[in-house]
Amino acid sequence: MSALRLAAALSIAAIVLAGCKSGGGFDLKNMDLGNVVKSVGNLREVKEPEEIQIGQSMTETLLGARPLFDDAELQHYVNEVGLWVAQQSDRPNLPWHFGVNDSDHINAFATPGGFIIITKGMMKQLRNEAELAGVLGHEVAHVNQKHHLKALRKSAFASLLGEGVAGAGGKQAELVKNLAGPTKELYARGLDKSDEYEADRMGVVFAARAGYDPYGLPAVLTTLASADPKDNYLTLLYKTHPLPQARLDKLAPGLTALDAIKAPQNASRFQQYTKSLRVATK
Amino acid sequence: MKTLLWLVALLAWLIPSAYAAETGYTLKATEVKDKPFLDANTLTTLPEKTTVEILTRQGAWMQIKTADVKQGWIRMLSVRLGSPDQKPQGGGSLLSSLAISSRPRPASTSTVTTGVRGFSEEDLANAKPNAAEVEKMKGYAATPEEATRLAESGKLEVKPVAYFDENGKPLKEKK
Repeated sequence: MSALRLAAALSIAAIVLAGCKSGGGFDLKNMDLGNVVKSVGNLREVKEPEEIQIGQSMTETLLGARPLFDDAELQHYVNEVGLWVAQQSDRPNLPWHFGVNDSDHINAFATPGGFIIITKGMMKQLRNEAELAGVLGHEVAHVNQKHHLKALRKSAFASLLGEGVAGAGGKQAELVKNLAGPTKELYARGLDKSDEYEADRMGVVFAARAGYDPYGLPAVLTTLASADPKDNYLTLLYKTHPLPQARLDKLAPGLTALDAIKAPQNASRFQQYTKSLRVATK
Repeated sequence: MKTLLWLVALLAWLIPSAYAAETGYTLKATEVKDKPFLDANTLTTLPEKTTVEILTRQGAWMQIKTADVKQGWIRMLSVRLGSPDQKPQGGGSLLSSLAISSRPRPASTSTVTTGVRGFSEEDLANAKPNAAEVEKMKGYAATPEEATRLAESGKLEVKPVAYFDENGKPLKEKK
């Protein structure tokens, strides 16, 4: 099935290319293979069930790099906060899943369809639930805007996305194998800066809609802006995101509209649920 | 009733103020207000690189005190954590600039490489897909009812807040 579809896609690409060569109605000079691959990838829009399957496959790889942190109560709490924030997005009914991984690095990730991972190292940087809501809001925004799907579609793996997904025919293992390489590449390279800035703007809005102090995400960025960018715990975050000060500067014009909002940060509840982070592993 | 008050006082004492023991400094000359509002009275203006002790944050504002100011509010976006002469050092100890915080900080990986639970580019490159962990993650999922209960107990009220563009202008429609 997979091979058939791939073959079909390739033959379409070949036909398009042949069309270019014979000059039949195509603008030869402006056509390159990259664009053809891209258009093949765009042949069909990825539907929501496929998007979720893609996201789950990518999450298998991300959790393969580092498993979940072992505290069921904390994990469930983060899911409650995350779902409450995600319900303020344009995609409230996705099967949202949140997880804290057992990593000292400071980072957070989203994969398509509503899978979100925040590192233990990032959790330790947070002071209250409003800051957590801000970070999760940023990740929810990536899913809301399908940033990672778009990035995959633009990449050399576009054909995989268009054909490999359906081609896996519901076979999860095959899809995971197909997507492992692209996942590793994408999460090491990061999204476009403009996507990150957009996720900051939207993340703040989701947290504010959810009833939190809207300055949670800016507070986290202020914390990160005070850190040494050369620190190893931040290397991947800084490689894949604009620097925190640049993000604060970009976010600032929109924040003033949220100044009048007085809303809870829920620090004590957050401190309570995150106790294990402060005693675990040293 | 008296017992309840004592209990509240005890709890307040047990739960540390979120910004307890954090210090910072002003990135630029900054007005100190007596309340966390733009049109509140201006108590004084702090010059750039004034060290401040951060008491708490509320929205855009940080409640601070300094050697000269007993208590006042300044904009969070004018504050950098740490101290002005503690420039980030190359090769680094991140969180050295944050070490004044009472929050626990990881030690730097540049000196400690054993026992690090990493999610570095290398860890990512070597990742073997782990389906069991995803199933575990799914097991932690919250229901909408649970999320609503969390919101209610946390006094979180849904508010209409519009998306905004890069210039801070509200967007009418969803993007």
